[in-house]
Amino acid sequence: MDELEVISWGERVSLFRFALLAALLAGAVCPLLGVFLHVRRTSFYGIALPQFATAGVVFGFVVLPWWLENVGLGALDFAGAMHDSHAAMNYHLAWSNVFTFGGLLALLALGRRGGSEVGRVAASFAIASAATLLFGRMSPVGKGFVDELLSGELLGVGVHEFETLAVVFGLAAGALLLYQRDLLLVSYDRESALVLGKRVFALEALLTAVTGLVISVGTMVLGPIVLFGLIVLPAIGARVWARSMRGYLRLASAFGVAAVLLGVAASFELDLPLGAAITGAAALLLVPGGLLRRG
Amino acid sequence: MSAPALLLVRDAAFGYGRRAVVSGVNLRVEPGQFLGIVGPNGAGKTTLFRGLLGLIPPLEGRVERGTRAIGYVPQRESLDALYPVTVEEVVQMGAFAKLHGLRRLPRDERARAVVCLERVGLAERRAAPFSTLSGGQRQRVLIARALMVEPELLLLDEPTTGVDRAAQAHILELLGELNASQRLAVLLVSHQISMVRQTVQRVLWVADGHVTEGLAAQMLAPENLDRLYSATGRPHAEEDA
Repeated sequence: MDELEVISWGERVSLFRFALLAALLAGAVCPLLGVFLHVRRTSFYGIALPQFATAGVVFGFVVLPWWLENVGLGALDFAGAMHDSHAAMNYHLAWSNVFTFGGLLALLALGRRGGSEVGRVAASFAIASAATLLFGRMSPVGKGFVDELLSGELLGVGVHEFETLAVVFGLAAGALLLYQRDLLLVSYDRESALVLGKRVFALEALLTAVTGLVISVGTMVLGPIVLFGLIVLPAIGARVWARSMRGYLRLASAFGVAAVLLGVAASFELDLPLGAAITGAAALLLVPGGLLRRG
Repeated sequence: MSAPALLLVRDAAFGYGRRAVVSGVNLRVEPGQFLGIVGPNGAGKTTLFRGLLGLIPPLEGRVERGTRAIGYVPQRESLDALYPVTVEEVVQMGAFAKLHGLRRLPRDERARAVVCLERVGLAERRAAPFSTLSGGQRQRVLIARALMVEPELLLLDEPTTGVDRAAQAHILELLGELNASQRLAVLLVSHQISMVRQTVQRVLWVADGHVTEGLAAQMLAPENLDRLYSATGRPHAEEDA
């Protein structure tokens, strides 16, 4: 009999509390970002960028021996770096950030030249996916880590990872809510925002920074499947029901939290990987809206 | 002595990169004036309009704005229907320049948004999704949004394109009433020659990178249109659709 089958729900919640709290936080915050990506017709960024972040994490494993020898990571040796949750996570988080922001800025720079945005994002997804596999081949340790990330198993989230996620996602949610009106105006009608004297470039830079940070930290802690599931799906599902922008943000966030709760229940009851179960639940929440739109 | 200018342009050139699309622009807009920018497609109307709005800087010359109260009405097709915004939310955007952070829109601003909607005859549709309105109604909502800044100068980009005759008449009647009752200066860009001829006082004819200003009734008289179009070597095809 599976060991998990003999422990109660309460014990599971207690045992995996940091993973569950991280998932709930992501369920509330990721859809807020997803709403802005969706209405700006840049949802594909929510899929391509986590792949860049994953490639960055694996690249970190590839260069870790060289880094330890030439730069250093505190006083840690290779084995120590693999087991020290603080130093190792911060190190990989840095690589995740470098690759996410690198990919994001490259996409934005190429976007200024015109052409097909969908094509650019699809190509970058393919490149980042191939890079992830190639880096994984170069570092067996990295491959094992990525396999775990890609399988969507996030029950191993610890206190330091949760704290990092809470700080970054808290700041991201605060920025999105604080500037929601300005971000709406800049996204909806950029020229009018300029005429009204809004700092359009600063607001767009803020949205870019929030996107990069949420995706790089979220991918590192939760994995790409959960992350793009919670960024993209609740925003699409809630759009059908939303009648105002303010209501849209609230509804998308509620959809995200509901997807996490449903996913946790399905994962515990059916012994499924938690991340994939959450993304599956978020997909299920699209069904009523899809039927309504068809009707 | 003439009134202080709301917008003063001196020997300006506008374009993209280093390439001037229109040059030698001289213009003075005073309170109560009603002006139109017309010309063949591709002649530089939009470039001139964007320059007057301040969206692109002049490549040479000067643009002086005597007021910060400038209302802007974009082409409604540029606004994406994917945004679930209500009519009231769109109008309230006109007050966003005064707001910072999480501060709620003050009650008097919300009331003023309703007054602006009443002004354009759409107060009863304020809770409706913006995307469900007709083209003419959406245009009137955007005019209401521009009125939220209490403008002295109103700039409109193709305000009657793609709307039916009745909606077109409604929009022009509204603009005429705002111009007459509030001495609101109005400047619109359009490719609908006959509409402009019947509506505006003065016209800026843009062709081949140059701007000619004159009285609308004279410049756009049918006998002059032949000369204007033949001078630019372009067909008459864009007379009203």
